[in-house]
Amino acid sequence: MSRRVVVTGIGAIAPNGEGADAFFQNCLDGVFSAAPVPEHWHHYGQLSSQVWAPLPSIDYSTYGVTRVDKMQLDPTGIMGIAGGVQALSQAGIATTCINERKGMHRLERIDPMQAGVYIGTGIGGLTSLIGSQANHVLTPVKKSCRDITRKINGDCAEAAAAVSDLAGSLRMPPRFNPFIVSMTMPNACAGTLGIRFGIKGPNETTCHACAAGTIALGHAFNSVKAGHITMALAGGVEYLTDEFGGIYRGFDIAGTLASSSHSPDSVNRPFDRDRSGFLFAEGGCSILVLEELSHALERGAEPVAEILGFAESFDAHSLMMMEPSGEQIERMFHSLLQQAGLTPDSIDYINTHGTGTELNDRVEAETIGRTFRKKPLIGATKSLIGHTLGASGALATSFTALALKHQKLHACKNLDNPEHDLNFVHTPGSYEIQNAIVQSFAFGGHNAALLMRRYAE
Amino acid sequence: MSHWENHPEIAKQVSDVIQEVLRVEPARIQPATKISDDLGADSLDIVSLLMALEEAFGQNISDEQAKNLVTVDDVIRFAVDHLASSSESK
Repeated sequence: MSRRVVVTGIGAIAPNGEGADAFFQNCLDGVFSAAPVPEHWHHYGQLSSQVWAPLPSIDYSTYGVTRVDKMQLDPTGIMGIAGGVQALSQAGIATTCINERKGMHRLERIDPMQAGVYIGTGIGGLTSLIGSQANHVLTPVKKSCRDITRKINGDCAEAAAAVSDLAGSLRMPPRFNPFIVSMTMPNACAGTLGIRFGIKGPNETTCHACAAGTIALGHAFNSVKAGHITMALAGGVEYLTDEFGGIYRGFDIAGTLASSSHSPDSVNRPFDRDRSGFLFAEGGCSILVLEELSHALERGAEPVAEILGFAESFDAHSLMMMEPSGEQIERMFHSLLQQAGLTPDSIDYINTHGTGTELNDRVEAETIGRTFRKKPLIGATKSLIGHTLGASGALATSFTALALKHQKLHACKNLDNPEHDLNFVHTPGSYEIQNAIVQSFAFGGHNAALLMRRYAE
Repeated sequence: MSHWENHPEIAKQVSDVIQEVLRVEPARIQPATKISDDLGADSLDIVSLLMALEEAFGQNISDEQAKNLVTVDDVIRFAVDHLASSSESK
């Protein structure tokens, strides 16, 4: 008999909520996070977009994150721990501390050799590297400023004060972090989770930009489905915010960010005629527990949703632009449906990539229309939380798993004038959904999708 | 007398940082306690401890200085010396 794979626990950190339940409810309630970018970012260069989606303030000590963890880990590792703790708790998997100094735990009733970690991230610990690099570059500059101030102070107090002010304006962390190598490497979050929870099976990091989280979940699904492991911690994590706004500027200068004249609350409008790009999020994380069904049921877990299939394809077209015909996306859809033995008309809901860029939304809407016609309900979780890149597919999967369980969907925020004639969700509330697709597309040319079903015995 | 006895407040601060970073019982932290040998701190633990001490005392600790911080009392002496020189420089 074919092995079935279910989601049994969900952790989530998004700009509009901390914890899976809060994130889900806030999406249903249309809670939205957008604000002007930090004022000092404008000092470094002209920005076309002025808005971002900051994360809520989170007390990570409630997830066992210590001061030592914060010294040694990039924010992605810290968010990963929090997401992992949330997911394991919701899955009913107890943890026992076995080494307090190293923060190592054992998962109760889980065979560590039969468990794996699969984490997607777009940029890994780039933020930490930027901070230490700033210290590296600016420390001698500050020293030179101090030397100059001292030399000229007697002759020209005004110039000395100006140089002193310049030194004071140089932003940098107080030290070049001795852990910077392990903070920066993209596999740090997956490694941290494996160490934290003593998971000794496959430990995989997927770096597929905005599709990384979806692909990580897909690879975890494949491993559980194939019988290589019985349980996985899987999802995506991203932290995109450096002190200088340089990462933001990279996306801004590429013309990908929402830059219309709308107010912060309405600038983010996937699939709307007035869309102008995506809303940059400070970061996000979602970690899920995937489990083989009988393994989950034997330990008394309650499945949230079932995963039926995963498919991916590659455009082989451009590192920064989607292939306009969407041919490889449609091929991916057909592969996904074939795996699950379903037809297009059996899909009730699609949680789209839905970034709000001109090309993404057009190609995505056209490929959905050609494959699925107007039947499935269409949602865009990014309309509420902005774009969390490598975490986005995992957050969309988490929302969709909970939507299948609770039979509720959020509305597409700011979708006042849809450019395409699809069955967009305009009103939050109760809907009948049995089968749902979550899809992600990424810089590089990656396309990935999961097919999920409402759990039934 | 040890620096611990002469500077009990700084000794407490140092002890607190060692407890927090190395997760050891307070009774194991004595003036003559060797941080690596007696508390089982590996090289990464030592780096974390130095970073935490830098944060606690607002002083950078160079690699050369770190080599001389073998016992708990060495750390207290370092903190005393550098806090004193820091306040003098102000």
